[in-house]
Amino acid sequence: MGDALLTMRDVQAGYGGGLVLQGVDLELEPGSITCIVGPNGAGKSTVLRVISGLLTASAGSVRYDGQELVGRSPADILRAGIAQVPQSRALFPHMTVRDNILMGGYIIRRERELLRQRVSMVEELIPLLKDRSNDYAGNLSGGQRRMVEIGRALMLDPRLILMDEPSLGLDPKSVATVAELIREVTSTGRTVLLVEQNVRLGMNLARYGVVMEQGKVALTGDADGLADNPEVASMYLGRAKDQP
Amino acid sequence: MSLRREVREVQIVQVLAYGILLGGMYALLASGVTLIFGVLDVVNVAQGAFLVMSALFTWQVWSVTGIEPLLLIPVNAALLFVIGWIIYRGMVARVAPQGPSMTVLLMFGIALVIEGTLNLVFGNKFKSVTPEYFTWSVKIGDIVLPVPQLISGVLAIAILGLIYVFLRVSWAGRAVRATAQNREGAALVGISHKTASALAFGIGAATAGAGGVLLSIMYPVYPATQYDWIARLLGIIVLGGLGSIPGAVAGSLLLGVMEAFAVTYVPQWSTLFFYGTILAILVFRPQGLMGSVTREDVV
Amino acid sequence: MRNRLKSPRVFVPLGLLLLLGLYPLVPDSQYEQSVLITCLLFAIMASGWNLISGMAGYVSLGHSVYLGIGMYTGAIAATRWGWDPFYLAPLGALVAGVVALLIGLVVLRTRAHAFVIITIAVLLSFQLLSANLKQFTGGTEGLTLGAPGWPEEWGNTPYFYMFYAILLLTLALAAYLMSSRLGAGLVAIRNDEGKAASIGVNTTVYKTIANVLSALPFGAAGVIYGQYLSFVNPSGAFSILTSVYLVLAALVGGRGTLWGPVLGGFIVALANEGATVAAGGVSARVLIMGLVLVLTVMFLPAGLLPTLTGLMTRRRASRSTVKYIDQAAIARHDSHLDITSLISRGAGQRDTGTAVLEVRDVVKRFGGVRAVDGVSLTVERGSITGLIGPNGSGKTTLFNCLTGTVRPDKGTVLLDGEDVTSDKVWTRAHGGLGRTFQVTRLFRSMTVLDNLVAPLERTSARQMVAGRYSGEEVDRARDILGFMGLQDFEKQNAAALSFGQQKLVELAQVLMLRPSVVLLDEPASGINPTLIEKLTKVIRQLNEAGTTVLIVEHNIPLVLGLCDTVHVLAGGKILTSGTPDVIRNDPLVIEAYLGPDHLLEAPRG
Repeated sequence: MGDALLTMRDVQAGYGGGLVLQGVDLELEPGSITCIVGPNGAGKSTVLRVISGLLTASAGSVRYDGQELVGRSPADILRAGIAQVPQSRALFPHMTVRDNILMGGYIIRRERELLRQRVSMVEELIPLLKDRSNDYAGNLSGGQRRMVEIGRALMLDPRLILMDEPSLGLDPKSVATVAELIREVTSTGRTVLLVEQNVRLGMNLARYGVVMEQGKVALTGDADGLADNPEVASMYLGRAKDQP
Repeated sequence: MSLRREVREVQIVQVLAYGILLGGMYALLASGVTLIFGVLDVVNVAQGAFLVMSALFTWQVWSVTGIEPLLLIPVNAALLFVIGWIIYRGMVARVAPQGPSMTVLLMFGIALVIEGTLNLVFGNKFKSVTPEYFTWSVKIGDIVLPVPQLISGVLAIAILGLIYVFLRVSWAGRAVRATAQNREGAALVGISHKTASALAFGIGAATAGAGGVLLSIMYPVYPATQYDWIARLLGIIVLGGLGSIPGAVAGSLLLGVMEAFAVTYVPQWSTLFFYGTILAILVFRPQGLMGSVTREDVV
Repeated sequence: MRNRLKSPRVFVPLGLLLLLGLYPLVPDSQYEQSVLITCLLFAIMASGWNLISGMAGYVSLGHSVYLGIGMYTGAIAATRWGWDPFYLAPLGALVAGVVALLIGLVVLRTRAHAFVIITIAVLLSFQLLSANLKQFTGGTEGLTLGAPGWPEEWGNTPYFYMFYAILLLTLALAAYLMSSRLGAGLVAIRNDEGKAASIGVNTTVYKTIANVLSALPFGAAGVIYGQYLSFVNPSGAFSILTSVYLVLAALVGGRGTLWGPVLGGFIVALANEGATVAAGGVSARVLIMGLVLVLTVMFLPAGLLPTLTGLMTRRRASRSTVKYIDQAAIARHDSHLDITSLISRGAGQRDTGTAVLEVRDVVKRFGGVRAVDGVSLTVERGSITGLIGPNGSGKTTLFNCLTGTVRPDKGTVLLDGEDVTSDKVWTRAHGGLGRTFQVTRLFRSMTVLDNLVAPLERTSARQMVAGRYSGEEVDRARDILGFMGLQDFEKQNAAALSFGQQKLVELAQVLMLRPSVVLLDEPASGINPTLIEKLTKVIRQLNEAGTTVLIVEHNIPLVLGLCDTVHVLAGGKILTSGTPDVIRNDPLVIEAYLGPDHLLEAPRG
């Protein structure tokens, strides 16, 4: 990798008692998609929460574009150009699609002109959002909601987008649409960090793959290489040796 | 025969109009409690104490200066906003992690502190603000409405409208609504939960600030009347579905009308409607009239 | 038990209380006695409240309603038949208990906020009722009672002993309850009501009984208190302030403990009296009590006694050496114990047909979304059946329909051939359905052994009154722990175990129900491979011992390796069902779940 956009060094973090992340090292190449895979409970989503500031690391550093992110507020990190598309149910169900998109620009709310431009930019990129702009977000299907969530994250024109299981709960057709959108989003040079249970989808989308296990990064490499690595299969799937 | 029926019809319309005005007042107060509940998950049983505090403050200023009491609405609203903000940041935010029953107890404690303080300052006597229009009434068609009730009802609905517009249109209002609808989602777009919560608490208390002024020209007030309001407000909120403002407004109007009829026809049982409503709704439809059940697992 | 009496935690407060009983012997102590009477009253009320709100966690802000009921019962009865505490106090308790039963059946259906609000509403409704039912209650003027009927020079001393006796009885009841299985069930409800139901605790019955028991002391004390005041009126009898003060008392002392409410009752009553005397009046009292409440909630939420004992045990714990727990030993542990007798129902076992669990055309909607959309499947007796599917495919909802936490909109669920679609969670548990949770839901503050003896195979009075550790349960719990290799953990707090160990303990807990079928919700998620192996072995052994198993899991090799039949769910429907080999090669499954050219061929063999 060249100069990394984001570098995590020996990051530890957890909720209440136990540590979920037990020393995570990670680098993200600018303009690429990186996908984290691993079994449930390995700490994949926690990595995203630490980067976006929803959870504060208890040790280690997260450097992004020359700045330290650990200890900064979520709003601050958003301002630095990192947006997160969380794992489902992050919309405001009793607001319209348009208002949901608009809320994505909360921290640039005083720059009205910019805000207007961004809304049209997002609606152009995702036409569905324009078609359904007056519907309540709570009435949309799962795939449509995911589009709104991605659109909302794009309101700040972020350099880095964190996505937590974009395919979660979607039928195969919606998954394909969302995957297409993710590819489109990065075509303009944005960097994406993805967490995905659907390994095949994740590795298909990504240039780099990261395998996590037990709160640590177990393997990193080119997504293509990882996808064919039998070790990845056994990591992700656990080590149930006594198969027939 | 027909004359008597006409009289009865006029009386019914009259009671209905009176009930809607009363309901407007309830709606203002209940929307404050609902806002706090929606954003913070805190049942604010001190709303009645806030209300009485504002009413007695109005009485004090009016009796000393003779100023038109209604001019105090923005003053008292601002005052209670600040008090609400401080109570949230200083106390509620600390206790909130311990769950709903502890925050109810905290708010009860705050209500008692307010009541005790008001008792010491104003004494345990009824105080009424009686501007010259206190005894006036107006005749619209066949129905007669007391002017203080009319002013209070109309102003309450107007203030409620302002709050509604504020919540819909302003960024601060949107931030409050976003936090109520999805706390994590709000944090993700950069809304500070603490600020949104303090704002909600402030606005919630401010509705009692404005409501207290309106109350002072309608009824005599003394510190312990705060207890009369607890059950009323809780009844309205429960009826509307905990946390839904349109629900609370609908519930308020309904209960205002029901109470007006009860006061007219079966006065000694009038407050039982509130309790009966609370019991019936919570038992048969715990999510309230306008609340909804959502799926617990991932959709 | 003998050792417990020697513990300072028991004999110090008990000694103090007995000493207090001698206080009226002090000459010229009428004023002090009247203060102590208030202390006793608050101690009684706080201890009574503690039975439902402290133990089961249902915080009532209207519990003084039962005091008011006692006061009116006493006053109304006294005006007809004369006042005699030996008949009237039990009568007051009885009436309060009956009312608590009726109210409890209604209000205990709600929780948290709703419960608090509804208890306030009940209290105020009774105030209104008593003001309006003039022919019985005298309306707002209330009822005035005559002299108590003993020599005047006795003063208030008889009242003192009456309250004293009621307090002793209440404490005896509370102490007994805390050591009984009923009490254990209540604590389980406080910790996690859904979990309690899943291990067979009939939460409705338990909560209702606790509510009735908690009302008894109020009713009895109310009779005495009404006569003591010689006057009963609506606002005095059904006062919300009394409710708030008694909750404050329990809170200050420590809810959920035996002596905390007593200590708190004395503190609150003395503070109340002190505020009235020192600051001269009601206003200052309200202010001071409000401050005490605010400060307690903010700075001493657990209460004095638990905070103090917490400090003491922490100091002690830091001095004692921590026992090293050999994690690997559990995994290595191999039991040759025959567990069939421990977990099967023996002669009582039903054998009706081959399907132990059957789902027919189950539909469940949430808003507009059909989470489960017409699913039918069977779990064959003696099989290990798998249920897989992507996130959001409706697995969890279907699982909840099976366990009873969600009622399907359409369709039926059969357990051992019987329709259990509308049965409660605990009824299904009694019927032989056990479940574990994806994220373990053990009672974290209890020991492993306490967790294991908490499950109930049925609801019966005999079981409720039995001691927590009595009967064959404890032996069986130890044997099951031994079978799992967990015997050394028996006295550990559940929260101290690793996540994987907790999963094993939760499985052991479920086995205490002698289930005919065990539902495992993602048993392998979040635990390390060594423990997964151990778990696999345990599941096999259980299956060989006759237990049917249904596994919901993401770990495909585990499912394909372990199961006889696998059902694949997608979009709320059964995509396909079959043997692991069929599933592995089904193109539909690959498309919907595993990804186009899935990785699963690799780690075979």
